Amino acid sequence: MLSVRRSASAFVAVAIGVTVVAATTLLLASGRPQVPDRLARAAVVVQSPEAGAPADSFAPTLPWSASRAAELTSRLVEVPGVAAAVPDRTFYAQPLVDGRPSGTDAQREDAHQGHGWSSTRLGGTRLAAGEPPRRAGEVVVDRALGLRPGGSVTLLTAAGPEPYTVTGLVDAPGVLVADEVAAALAPGVRAIGLLVAPGADPEEVAEAARGVVGGDGQVLTGDGRGALEPRGDARTRWIGMQVLTATAALAGFVTVFVVASTFAFTVAQRRRELGLLRAVGATPRQVRRMVDTEALVVGATAGLTGLLVGAALAPVLGRLLIDVGFEPATFRVRYEPWPVAVSLAAGPVIALLAVWSASRRAARVRPLEALREAAVEQRPIGRPRVATGVLLVAAGGALSLGTATSDDARSAATFALYAVMALVTGATVLAPAVVGPVVRILRSPVRRRGGAIGMLVRAGASTATRRTASTAAPVLLTVAFAVLVSGMVRTTTAAYEAGRAESVNAGWIVVPDRAPGLSDQAVAATGGTALLPTTVFESDPGTSPEHRPLTALGVDPAGFAAANRALTVVAGSLDDLNGDDTVVVTDSANRLPSEPYALVFADGESVSLRVVAVVTDDSVPGDLLLPRHVVRAHDPSALTSAVYVSDRVDPPVGARIIDVSGWAAEADHAEDRLVWLFTLLLIGVSAGYGAVAVANTLLLAAVGRVADLRLIRLAGATRRQVIWLVTAESALVVLIGALLGGAVAFVGLLSIRAGLAEQVGAPVDLVVPWSVVGGVVGLCLLLAVLASALPTWRSLRHRPARSPVGHPSMVGER
Amino acid sequence: MTRHTVTLTGLRAVYGTGARRVTALDGVTTSFASGTFTAVMGPSGSGKSTLLHCAAGLDRPTEGSVTIDGRCLDDLGEDELTRLRRERVGFVFQAFNLVSTLTAAQNVELPLRLAGRRPPARDVTAALDAVGLADRAGHRPSELSGGEQQRVAVARALITRPAVVFADEPTGALDSAASRQVLRLLRALVDDHRQTVVMVTHDPAAAASADRVLLLADGRVVDELTGGITAAVVAATIAERETASGRTSDRQGTASGGTTVRRETARAQAAVQRPC
Repeated sequence: MLSVRRSASAFVAVAIGVTVVAATTLLLASGRPQVPDRLARAAVVVQSPEAGAPADSFAPTLPWSASRAAELTSRLVEVPGVAAAVPDRTFYAQPLVDGRPSGTDAQREDAHQGHGWSSTRLGGTRLAAGEPPRRAGEVVVDRALGLRPGGSVTLLTAAGPEPYTVTGLVDAPGVLVADEVAAALAPGVRAIGLLVAPGADPEEVAEAARGVVGGDGQVLTGDGRGALEPRGDARTRWIGMQVLTATAALAGFVTVFVVASTFAFTVAQRRRELGLLRAVGATPRQVRRMVDTEALVVGATAGLTGLLVGAALAPVLGRLLIDVGFEPATFRVRYEPWPVAVSLAAGPVIALLAVWSASRRAARVRPLEALREAAVEQRPIGRPRVATGVLLVAAGGALSLGTATSDDARSAATFALYAVMALVTGATVLAPAVVGPVVRILRSPVRRRGGAIGMLVRAGASTATRRTASTAAPVLLTVAFAVLVSGMVRTTTAAYEAGRAESVNAGWIVVPDRAPGLSDQAVAATGGTALLPTTVFESDPGTSPEHRPLTALGVDPAGFAAANRALTVVAGSLDDLNGDDTVVVTDSANRLPSEPYALVFADGESVSLRVVAVVTDDSVPGDLLLPRHVVRAHDPSALTSAVYVSDRVDPPVGARIIDVSGWAAEADHAEDRLVWLFTLLLIGVSAGYGAVAVANTLLLAAVGRVADLRLIRLAGATRRQVIWLVTAESALVVLIGALLGGAVAFVGLLSIRAGLAEQVGAPVDLVVPWSVVGGVVGLCLLLAVLASALPTWRSLRHRPARSPVGHPSMVGER
Repeated sequence: MTRHTVTLTGLRAVYGTGARRVTALDGVTTSFASGTFTAVMGPSGSGKSTLLHCAAGLDRPTEGSVTIDGRCLDDLGEDELTRLRRERVGFVFQAFNLVSTLTAAQNVELPLRLAGRRPPARDVTAALDAVGLADRAGHRPSELSGGEQQRVAVARALITRPAVVFADEPTGALDSAASRQVLRLLRALVDDHRQTVVMVTHDPAAAASADRVLLLADGRVVDELTGGITAAVVAATIAERETASGRTSDRQGTASGGTTVRRETARAQAAVQRPC
């Protein structure tokens, strides 16, 4: 007894859900590391040892020192089947065009990377014109820059702008210099590419290479060489993965939720029919099986539809993700079997999960309900339902506390998401119990404004609490989600911004402009306090992972202390940070002054340092402080991230100057922008869904209520009054949902604020982007009014008495 | 000795709590002999529908017990009760209650299909033929008149060859011609097939088709008419009850036309123990 009209709304909801799931899982499966073009021809690549946990895939690897790299290269070239072994060096170099860093593709990491000329052998890069670089001061650049061989170009390196002569052009991003120049700019080596002789088996070569390097590196072949992708790409891909996973999870959750309320609604509408089936001999189990089977059929067909639409949309979405910055430019959509299988299963699974509670309720319909009027529902809410709701709300509360007390932003966000899910589900489960009182609270304005209509609206909403609740539920979900997520993101951004501005004691800040960092020359020109970040490695054979990357900041201690308000020295003295072997650690390093500390630098050299001071963890935006000259000596490519100056100065090349509040606002601007886009995407998914669900339930309700409304017409209401009635009813329901949702979200936001205040160490303002919230509520309201007024208007086109009103009432007959 | 298809003993049915507490049945003991046609009458709220629902196993009494075809319903679970109802009880509703998406024939075979049986097409045709609708087998309820729909409902009630057919105001939504047709059909079932039929009705003319009329008031059986029942007698008895309401007494006599009227107190019935 599958009715097309009844199933249509569930079908649409499941199909949309599976579309999102299919598209996101297809994109997820496609997001795999790409072998850089630069190394494409090297069938086997030896990479320096992993630092950090394998999951932390954008931590740089532990570099080999120049001597170790040379030794490894000479041994690898002896391996049978190896035609050549080429160390690949990467350093910072950016051509200036018209006196500014070239703006083309500033996002692409490889656009401002330099390599030695020999690296071209690994990728098969050919000269498009001119000659290879042979000595210092010669460079081969990307043809896209529009330079000519023989012309001159200024290269911005970590030291500062330097004049070079263009000897040739290639069709690849980045710059190429003579190998000796590369060796000076990048003493540490992270990869040695092996060119395999014709006829030799790369796997055998790889096996032999493993014997040579042992534990001092990893031998990669085939797709495994994807591990060599730029760290920036890996990070972007990771962000994309988070976005897609969250979107898929949200879509699945929301779909189950929306479809569940649709099913609950259709079951409530079909009580009479189900009661009839029970009366003519259907057992509760048969009724349940019937409802389940209907859901399964709807789910399977909708799932298939969703898969096809999702697969068709995936490439479009993929391009969109690249444009927005959620996927690296190398991202391609690939059709893997597992997302197809997952999406095919998703339809029926979603439908079965969603119908679970509705079919249980259907099985409880008693045969006598065939004889009763359907509109007055018995028992608005059962005890187990109250218990479930209370448990969920409690779990949500506990998770909110987890959000508040968690000191790690990432786990706080996870807690917050689960907290919202629990709170929203709990609120929905409890909605029928809450609807009555809320309606009563709201009744006065409605009654005053509406007269008879107000009376009918109020009576309708509080009598059919389940109908009201199932319509309000999607609004609740949508509004709660929008308020909570957008509020959380905005509040967090504002909190970190305040924390940053609070900690800096400077008037102005010089930041890079269209470049990844500031050169030494730029720093010297401004004369302020600068941070020179680099990655160093701590090795402890006893732990796993053996090598751990740390962020070290090269500073001038006096200037740093003056500019940093948050600095608290626990032990020792910052003034002692000047010798070649000195280091300042933070609390969590668990080291005392004068303790020795061995670290490996970016050039691969291991240096034994001496702790001179300990500062608190939140004093420095990193793990260690080193004298600036020590960082520069070991990492020729290290770039300064910011210079603090007290007065406004003219920014040097590749830099601009902003005031502290501007800097605090834009410091994480790129990331904040991605996070905000991500937030809007998630809110968009849920709001779209909420609106669809509201429209769905109201459409169904309107159809079911035609007889009722005709009676009201017969009782003397004008058509306009009836339209007013349904519009006011829908608006009331949306309002109830929005209020409940807002309340749930507010609780969550308060706990998040408490957590942030603890983390930042400053009072945090609650920021709720009302435009987003207003938009979401407005969308629900608009669709709700349309979905109830339009069908009512259509069904009331005829004179009231011309169409049958329905069966005579049998209420009260005992 | 007469065999009783349905026995009701000390039935009480109470709904709601507190101020909204309603006693629908207040100690009813009676039985329905097999092969007889009984009409249950009474004013609105007298408990006649509740009586029918309890007797048919659609509702459970608060107290007392029900036996259908020798099986006691009191301790049956929901599934067993459904199965018993499916096999031994037919039910005809006032509002026809056909499934609108199914054809007449599909509606008729529905109870058997629910029991997991697929009835031969000729059985379904025969059942429709018995109610004079063999040519309407493929029609949906919306394509049938009210009288025809009710006759399909009767055919559906009979398809499982039940021990008893309950009809709740079967003529309530029909015009007089269609009503007469349905009543003749029920009467013929009793006369030709010794079918037991229990019918709730408002209409004295409908009650006149029965062998016996039970009159209910305030959840108790207050009058019982047997033999030579006509619409006039029924109407007169009801009218008399309404004027004499509140002054019930134990008396037994013969009204005009040989109809036996038995008056009894509810107290005497309420004292009966549950037999099973």
